[in-house]
Amino acid sequence: MGTQWFEEYDLDGFFDEVVAADGSLRPHYRKVAEALEVLAPGDLSRAERRRTAAFRTQGITFTVYGDDDEDDTGSGTTAGIERTFPMDLVPRVIPAEEWAHLEQGLVQRVTALNRVLDDLYVGGMEIVHDGVVPRWLVLSSDGFTREAYGVPVPQGARCLVAGIDVIRDHDGTYRVLEDNLRCPSGISYVIENRSALTRVLPQLFSGDQVRPVDQYGPKLLHALQRVGPPAAGDSPTVVVLTPGMYNSAYFEHVFLATQMGVELVEGRDLVVEDHVVYMRTTQGLRRVDVIYRRIDDDFLDPVVFRPDSALGVPGLMAAARAGNVTVANAVGNGVADDKAVYAYVPDMIRYYLGEEPILPNVPTYLLWDPDQRADVLSRLDRLVVKPVAEAGGYGLVIGPHATDEELAEARAAIEADPRNYIAQEVVSLSRHPCLVDDHLEGRHVDLRPFVLSGDRVEVIPGGLTRVALRKGSLVVNSSQGGGSKDTWVLAEATVPADELEGAAEAGPEPGAGGAPPSPPTPAEAAGTDHGVDLLGAADAEPRAAGRVPQEVH
Amino acid sequence: MRLDVRYRTVFSYSEPTSESQNELRACPAGDEGQRLLDYRVTVDPPARVFSYLDSWGTRVDAFGVRRPHDRMSVTAEASVETRPRPLPTAAPRTEALRRGDFVDGHVEYLQRDRHTDGGEGVEAAARRQSELAGPDVVGTVLAVHRFVGTHLNYVPGSTDVGIPVEDVLAGGRGVCQDFAHLAVAMCRSIGIPARYVSGYLFTDSDETGAAPRTDTVVVQTHAWMEAAVPGWGWLALDPTNGQVVGEHHVKIGHGRSYDDVQPLRGVYLGPAASSVAPEVEIRRVDGAELWRSSSSGPAPGAPHLNGTMPAGMPIPARRVPAPAASGSTIRQQQQQQQQQQQQQQQQCC
Repeated sequence: MGTQWFEEYDLDGFFDEVVAADGSLRPHYRKVAEALEVLAPGDLSRAERRRTAAFRTQGITFTVYGDDDEDDTGSGTTAGIERTFPMDLVPRVIPAEEWAHLEQGLVQRVTALNRVLDDLYVGGMEIVHDGVVPRWLVLSSDGFTREAYGVPVPQGARCLVAGIDVIRDHDGTYRVLEDNLRCPSGISYVIENRSALTRVLPQLFSGDQVRPVDQYGPKLLHALQRVGPPAAGDSPTVVVLTPGMYNSAYFEHVFLATQMGVELVEGRDLVVEDHVVYMRTTQGLRRVDVIYRRIDDDFLDPVVFRPDSALGVPGLMAAARAGNVTVANAVGNGVADDKAVYAYVPDMIRYYLGEEPILPNVPTYLLWDPDQRADVLSRLDRLVVKPVAEAGGYGLVIGPHATDEELAEARAAIEADPRNYIAQEVVSLSRHPCLVDDHLEGRHVDLRPFVLSGDRVEVIPGGLTRVALRKGSLVVNSSQGGGSKDTWVLAEATVPADELEGAAEAGPEPGAGGAPPSPPTPAEAAGTDHGVDLLGAADAEPRAAGRVPQEVH
Repeated sequence: MRLDVRYRTVFSYSEPTSESQNELRACPAGDEGQRLLDYRVTVDPPARVFSYLDSWGTRVDAFGVRRPHDRMSVTAEASVETRPRPLPTAAPRTEALRRGDFVDGHVEYLQRDRHTDGGEGVEAAARRQSELAGPDVVGTVLAVHRFVGTHLNYVPGSTDVGIPVEDVLAGGRGVCQDFAHLAVAMCRSIGIPARYVSGYLFTDSDETGAAPRTDTVVVQTHAWMEAAVPGWGWLALDPTNGQVVGEHHVKIGHGRSYDDVQPLRGVYLGPAASSVAPEVEIRRVDGAELWRSSSSGPAPGAPHLNGTMPAGMPIPARRVPAPAASGSTIRQQQQQQQQQQQQQQQQCC
């Protein structure tokens, strides 16, 4: 192996991203390992302190909300605690050919997801009529939003930003754990992590050609501009709509508006007149063409959704339906990330694209099917059970770690409402070396790549690697000891050098990053109730508990 | 019968409001039982109306007023020609309700929602009517219809929108919405797809549904129900007055419950308390030409589809959103964005 850092490194039988089963370093990691070789543990500790200080100074934090019953102030407030998100300094490296496979699979998947959403809302539900996805399954999804029926989206780009959670199993196969198609968050951490690592450990970049991630802002803006209403012409006015500063992802909302150079607005800053949306400015009203919203559907327009929402824009849905404004991501995307509908994504790819899926799902059982249900109930203690519409790991039961009582409850819940649950095989998540005190230890990781849809579907190189920092844990949520890693995609030789990160330009980049929340899938659980956060929870809207540090939809 | 319907709602605010955004569902549907001849919406202060068909096929007129005003009125005027609706020509047995393709094609009308989520009382009452009627679907629907009409007393103003059907059943009284929701909930609990219908009734007594002695009546919007008969179509019944829906009924639209066809919903800006006064005037027009249509017979049911739901599987419930804590602040909404809650004002018979 040849380096001090890996001499004592133990695989514990898991697939490791850096060290092969025979103990040798994987070829794509050799240059990083060589760069690490010349660093002493103290160098890394110092770099870590610099990174933490930088994040704190820049306000790159997330907010942890306490449960009411844990609120020792007794005040009953929902004020959160600001924390910086841990970032492990040892980067994850994805070789070019491996990324090409992932990228193709993600483009294919998101293309099909855009197609199915357009089909369901404006296309006549062909996939239902053709019997590929059952009608009742679609109509009984909480995410199927009748208020979105008939609302057009230019280019059919309904998943303008998708966060597809990917894990690697015991033999290294990339699998999709879940799709996040509503308001996936975390991209700001991708950019900030890269910025931080180039500043505190520039020497790591000396040997590799790493594809940059800081073009996200311009690419997002480009995609948003491509979905503007036809009347808006070539340069539609784009805004970012945030719930406000108390939202745990507010940092990211500010970050994205800044990166794109567009206005960050709240609902009260927008008005609708004659089914056209305007923002209030010091010079009067200015027409808005595209709204990148980070507000849930339910709060978007009190005329058609929650009437008590103070965060939305009254009349917005009618304006969107009239084709005078585009809302991104589209309203109603939740039907396609319903976990029971997720099981049909491979069939959707075959149906719409006539292709075989490049990235497989995690093996999933549909509990409304009597045969699958019987099979699952007979071995509940070896499977993972998830509610179909929950985010953040709520309601999740990991069979191997559940008590008899928990299993009995899960069984009863499944039998009472089988549509509302799926079961999955327990996946043995891959591990990656992480800095623990003065040495490296393996920790479980997942990956959330970000996929943009505008006039075409494009994947940002890399994504957010989330790490369960606690030994043996599968919980990647930041509030539960989760962290993140800078994630490198290596360039192929043909990529022009000026598009690459290099040691020579180790200087500051835009932004700096903290870390987000969430979950991969387990192989073994955290051994505590935290384990639930992991398994499938990639999606965690800030709710009351202290487990969801960030809006990940 | 040719009927001219004039729906009008006036909002009066105690102080001027600068903005109001609304959606109106007041336009008569076109189907096998009625034909729309003319329809017009007027808003005062004037506003641009954007109209569309929603996912249930109901015409929606969306409009907003964005200038200070202390009074706003919306008027919808329709001319419609109605005729008696056909009665079932099929007598399916209740086994037909459990066929996978039938369930799949009607699943939205089998799910419960906040208005139709009955408890044990509703289920027991429905089972009892089902047993009395035997294995005949039409007979069972009629039994439920009769039960609701006789068990509940029609008491205007006796309930608020959103009262659970279980409480309506226990209380033994209600308005037309309650009659319709209870009948819908009972049908669904025994596997009969049923939907809530919003419309107008040409009568001078909602309670009896009797034909008026005059040519013009002033009423409020009305509600009834439709139940799906396998192999035939939708049977429309008005449990408030025990009638089969006929040419005195003008249907606006249908949905799972009131929320899907609420006649007027909207929001306005400002602290002012408002008063709302909806009113419907219906006039019978003599001498209208008879409606002769080449098509007759029942409406086609929902298409039969593949990928059917397994027999015997519990129908998933629509999630009933947890009510938001009263006084929920913007800050709480910013933090917690997944709760749902809805509240509307009642504006129906």
